[in-house]
Amino acid sequence: MNFLNKIIFFYYREYKLNMSGAQDILTNIIFFFISIFIFIFSIGPDKQTISIIGVGILWTLLLLSSTLSLRKFYQDDFENGNLIIMHLNGFSFGFIAILKTFSHFIFVQIPFLLSIPIACILLNIANDKLFYLFASFSIGSLILSCLGSISSSMNLMNQRNFLLGSVMVMIFSVPIIIFSVGIINMEESFNSLINILFGILLIVFAINPWASGLCLKLSLENN
Amino acid sequence: MLIVKDLSVERIDKKIFENINLSLTPGNITILRGKNGSGKTTLLKAILNLIEPSFGSIFWKGKLLKNNFYDFYNHTTYIADTTSSLRKLTIKDNVNIWKKFFISNIGDAQIETALKTLKLDNYLNKKVATLSFGETKKLEFLRLIIENKKVWILDEPFSNLDEDSIELMKQTFEDHSSKEGSIIFSSHQNPGIYVTEEIEL
Repeated sequence: MNFLNKIIFFYYREYKLNMSGAQDILTNIIFFFISIFIFIFSIGPDKQTISIIGVGILWTLLLLSSTLSLRKFYQDDFENGNLIIMHLNGFSFGFIAILKTFSHFIFVQIPFLLSIPIACILLNIANDKLFYLFASFSIGSLILSCLGSISSSMNLMNQRNFLLGSVMVMIFSVPIIIFSVGIINMEESFNSLINILFGILLIVFAINPWASGLCLKLSLENN
Repeated sequence: MLIVKDLSVERIDKKIFENINLSLTPGNITILRGKNGSGKTTLLKAILNLIEPSFGSIFWKGKLLKNNFYDFYNHTTYIADTTSSLRKLTIKDNVNIWKKFFISNIGDAQIETALKTLKLDNYLNKKVATLSFGETKKLEFLRLIIENKKVWILDEPFSNLDEDSIELMKQTFEDHSSKEGSIIFSSHQNPGIYVTEEIEL
C-alpha cells in the first residue's frame, strides 16, 4: 500500500511541477499551431492540397513539437539529485523510467492529443478521420515518450550537443510515422496497421525500463 | 549496522581512494575529511550503492549491501551537496510533496516547529528560487525531520551556513546521536562536532 501511495505522490509531484511550468506546455502547443499556420501559408489556399497532405503535416509537427520537451525529461531531476532521492525512496531506475515515461505522456503528449481536433479544422482534415488520428496518436505518442526516455537518459552526461537526442528519436520514429499516417489514409487496413503500431509500442515499452534505467545508473555513477 | 571493508574506487585507471574501513553503529557520528576532489562524495555514493567499488565490500545488517540495499534505503536519508527542493515551487509545496512522497508520520506541528527553528516559517509561500543558498540548504535539512530515519548520510552539510545554523546543526547531530541514530558526513574541516570516527581521504 505504501508503494502505491509513493507512486500516487510521485504523480502529485509531477503535476505540481508541470503546473508551475505550464508556460512550457503552452509554448509547445503554440509552436505546434504556428508551424501549422506556416505550412498553410507556404502551401497556399488550395483546400484540396492541404487536405491530402494534412495528415502527414500533422504527424510531422506532432513529432517535432513533442521532441522540444525532451531536454527536460530527466535533466532537472538528475542535476538537483531528485533521481537519487527517488531511488532511495524505493524506486529502481527502471521503474523511475516507466513512471517518467507516463508522466511525459500525460503532461506533454495529452495536451497535443486534445488540440488535434482544432488542428484538423485548420488542415481541412475530414471529421471521419478524427477517430483514426486519435487512435494512431494515442499509441504513437506513447511510443515517442518511450523513445524520448531512452534518448534523454543516454544524453544526461552529454552537456554539449543535446540535439543528438532529438535526432535519435526522429530516426527511430520513421516506422511510427509510416504506420500512423497509413492508418488514416488506408482506413480499410486499420486493424492490421494498428496492431503493428501496438506491437512497436510493446517492443519499445519492454526495452525502455532496461535501457533508460541502465543509462540513469551509469550517468549517476559517472556524475 | 553498516560495515565498510577495504573499499577502493578506481576510475579510468585513477585511484580515487583505497582501503577505506569504517563501521557505523547506533549513536555513531563519522566524519569524512579531505580536500576538494579527494573522493568524499564518491565514497558516500559507494556507501549508497550508487557506485560499484573496484575492491572491497559493504555490509548492512550482516548482509552484503548490494543484495540488501532497499532495506538500507528504508533506514537512510541522504542529503547531497546539491539542493533537491523544487525551485519552481514554494517552501510549503516542497514540504507537502516530501511529506507525502516519503509517507512521513511526522505531524504538522512538528514540521512547523522545525521551520520556525530554521527561521523559514516566514517564507512558506515564497518560491525556493527566491531563497538564498543558505536558506535553501536549511530547507534541505528539513528532510531529515520529515523522513525520520536512523541513518543520515550528508555531503558537505556545513557549507554555506552561517554560524547560528552551524550551531543548530551541531545540536541536531548530537540529539540524533543520543537517540541511537547514526551519521556519516563529509566536510573539509570539523566545525567542532564530537565525532566517534574520523576518516581522512
